[in-house]
Amino acid sequence: MSQQTLVDLSQWQWAITAGFHIVFPSLTVGTSIFLVVCYAAFMRTGTEVYLRLFRLWRRIFAIGFGLGVVSGIVLTFEFGLNWGGFAHDVGPILGVIIGMEVVTGFFLEAGFLGLLIYGDGRISQRVMLFSACMVSLGTVASVTWILAANSWMQTPAGYTLVHGQFLPRDWVQVILNPSFGWRVAHMLVGVLVSAAFFVSGISAWYLVKGRHLDVGRRGLSIGIGAAAILVPVQMYLGDTVAVDAIAPYQAPKLEATEGNWTSTNTGWNLLLWPDQSAARNDWTVTVPWLGSAIAKDWSGRTPTPGLLQTPAPLRPMILPTFYGFRLMFFAAMAMLATAMAGVILRLRRRLDVTRWFHRCVLVLTPAGPLAIIAGWVLAETGRQPWLVYGRLPTADAVSPLDTWQVLTSLALLILVYALLLGTYIWYVARVVRQGPEDRPVPEPVRAPVAPVPRALGAGRRI
Amino acid sequence: MNAADVWMLFIGLSFAAYIVLDGYDLGIGVLTLLQRDDRRRREMYELVARAWDGSESWIVLLAVALWGGLPLAYGIALPSLYVPLILMLVSLIWRGFSIEIIAQYRGWQRRWGLAFGIGSLVAAFCQGAAFGGLIAGVTVHGSTFAGGPFSFLHHGYAVLTGLGAIVLYLFAASAWVYDRTEGELQRWAARGGRVLTLLLAAATVACWALLQPAGTTRLDPGSAARLAVWVPGAVVLAGGLAHAYRSFGRHPDAGPVRGALAVYAGGLILVLGLMYPSVVPPSITVHAAASPTGSLTFLLIGVGLSMPAILAYNAYAYWAFRGKLTTTDEEVAGTSVDPAGRRVAAR
Repeated sequence: MSQQTLVDLSQWQWAITAGFHIVFPSLTVGTSIFLVVCYAAFMRTGTEVYLRLFRLWRRIFAIGFGLGVVSGIVLTFEFGLNWGGFAHDVGPILGVIIGMEVVTGFFLEAGFLGLLIYGDGRISQRVMLFSACMVSLGTVASVTWILAANSWMQTPAGYTLVHGQFLPRDWVQVILNPSFGWRVAHMLVGVLVSAAFFVSGISAWYLVKGRHLDVGRRGLSIGIGAAAILVPVQMYLGDTVAVDAIAPYQAPKLEATEGNWTSTNTGWNLLLWPDQSAARNDWTVTVPWLGSAIAKDWSGRTPTPGLLQTPAPLRPMILPTFYGFRLMFFAAMAMLATAMAGVILRLRRRLDVTRWFHRCVLVLTPAGPLAIIAGWVLAETGRQPWLVYGRLPTADAVSPLDTWQVLTSLALLILVYALLLGTYIWYVARVVRQGPEDRPVPEPVRAPVAPVPRALGAGRRI
Repeated sequence: MNAADVWMLFIGLSFAAYIVLDGYDLGIGVLTLLQRDDRRRREMYELVARAWDGSESWIVLLAVALWGGLPLAYGIALPSLYVPLILMLVSLIWRGFSIEIIAQYRGWQRRWGLAFGIGSLVAAFCQGAAFGGLIAGVTVHGSTFAGGPFSFLHHGYAVLTGLGAIVLYLFAASAWVYDRTEGELQRWAARGGRVLTLLLAAATVACWALLQPAGTTRLDPGSAARLAVWVPGAVVLAGGLAHAYRSFGRHPDAGPVRGALAVYAGGLILVLGLMYPSVVPPSITVHAAASPTGSLTFLLIGVGLSMPAILAYNAYAYWAFRGKLTTTDEEVAGTSVDPAGRRVAAR
């Protein structure tokens, strides 16, 4: 099998393992903040429902967090396993950034997680709250560093190229590279929106079923409230990413996102099927005038730039880039509409009793992670054929492995991940069905060392 | 001694932290396969559940420390160890997920317990095999790996080190269980621990003796400097084994753990003396593989600033869970063993 097959398989392996991984941060970053809010509210008001929320969501959080940890380990190793050339060429820059992520983010999360999950009765309420804060802080730090690394690959800056290796020249420019600021904001708000709908959706389920109404109402109220603020912000940030972080640096990505070949279409493509090798679309469904309007020409005469402007070897695939954007965009629209409806219902004091709304929110439970995965497909396929944009082609970075090695590992990973994802969903459903404890009692803090029954072991010989 | 050497030392310490911390919980995973009593298995799961993700942070640190500091080594060594490392990763995921399910959900202990044990076993074996494949030498052409998918095996040497890792982790796990539990489980750990100490001594000798024919010249003591490292390393290792053997079954309960720590320390000294200055034997040295000073400085500052905090809160987490595993812990985690029941079991 050819070198191209090896590159394709390695890319698929990366895509699947990264796509699997991203589901969990997209849920747990925001959920960890939700845990902080619930526990702080419990400590401040002493209201039991907050403790029940905290205990319930902690159980959901724990496994998702564990899966995020282990699937993240896989990615760290894959940089070297499958992309040895990449590891060598960008190690002095990206290895260092990911290293910072590990020492400032990963350790913080993992170090305090044990206390957060198993600390009941061992640590005081203050330390519990502090642990929850530290876990949240760690997840946010992780997102920030990872986005610094990824943004550097999209818009490299502050380096010198010596014998094919990228060496740091100015760390400030490396980390605060041109696309970093908007992209990290977009990602952070994205994961918060995801968690807001995750929490809202599961809370809505209790309302639909008419069980644990207090927990459902409180969760829905907090979740929809957060979404109502965050979704509009996210739409603005997404637009700014396109205008300020992509357009000046990665024109082909935008061309592929809009799905045009020629630069004559003044409409906006809703659906299409591309024929990449023939450089045309087999069919398209287009909304007239809208493309021009998006370019701020209301007369409808401004065409959208097409992919033929980019030389054939440097064209990204239209199919994943186009639909990645469409899926993200429509998911965001659905979330926006729902959040706004929630605000109106809240103002009319109907949020707790409007059944159709609860069903809508329930349907949108997985919308956040789906939108984030779609957005990443757009970001990553749209920058092909480059790994480091304009500098390091993807095909040059792959490890010299046997094709079957990658094929086998890919099959194995798909199998295991499918099983884990299935079990995870089953588990969350199970925990949700079980519901929160009815009467949670705050664990009294014992002396950390339980009196060891020394008499049992004294003078023991085995 | 320059920045690259300092970084190599840090990589060595991360490696040490990882095998010490995750070593015992991988080992406990394997031990659960050997323990038939559900309640005692549950106690062992509890010991792992609260610590495993903190322990696995260190393997991530090890990986990125290698990548950021010695990118050439990372880009060569990982493809050369593709088969064992992928299997290790899959097993780590598998066992991490299993232990969380066991800890969070009460119903499925048997099934997921088996998954957890087997995942731990495979992960331990693969780590040992990858280590053996690395120290026995990697075929390099220019700046890329040039061997085949199975050249890491070195005519079976990697299988030997894989089995060695299982024995090492089982030994460390017995020491930890002995320290952290009481009653029947503790006695069981002591009985097994003694046998494992002897097995580990044999495995160490075998791994050392058989490395030579695997085709490298670095074992030639040659310089007095190498001997000056090896002799104390071997003494510490042997002393640790002897101490652990003596302490299993006696007070203080922390004795075997201390012995195990000495075994790790001695082993690491031996390995460092074996490899240095190469990092991907035989041809890639630390200095050839190192990132430029700008990267290493950034790493050293960043790590230097965060490491005290990391060590402090990890130590706090261990401190919060110090002492014997108590019945209350189990109640929190969902099993229903009443104190009286435990006393009867402990007799």
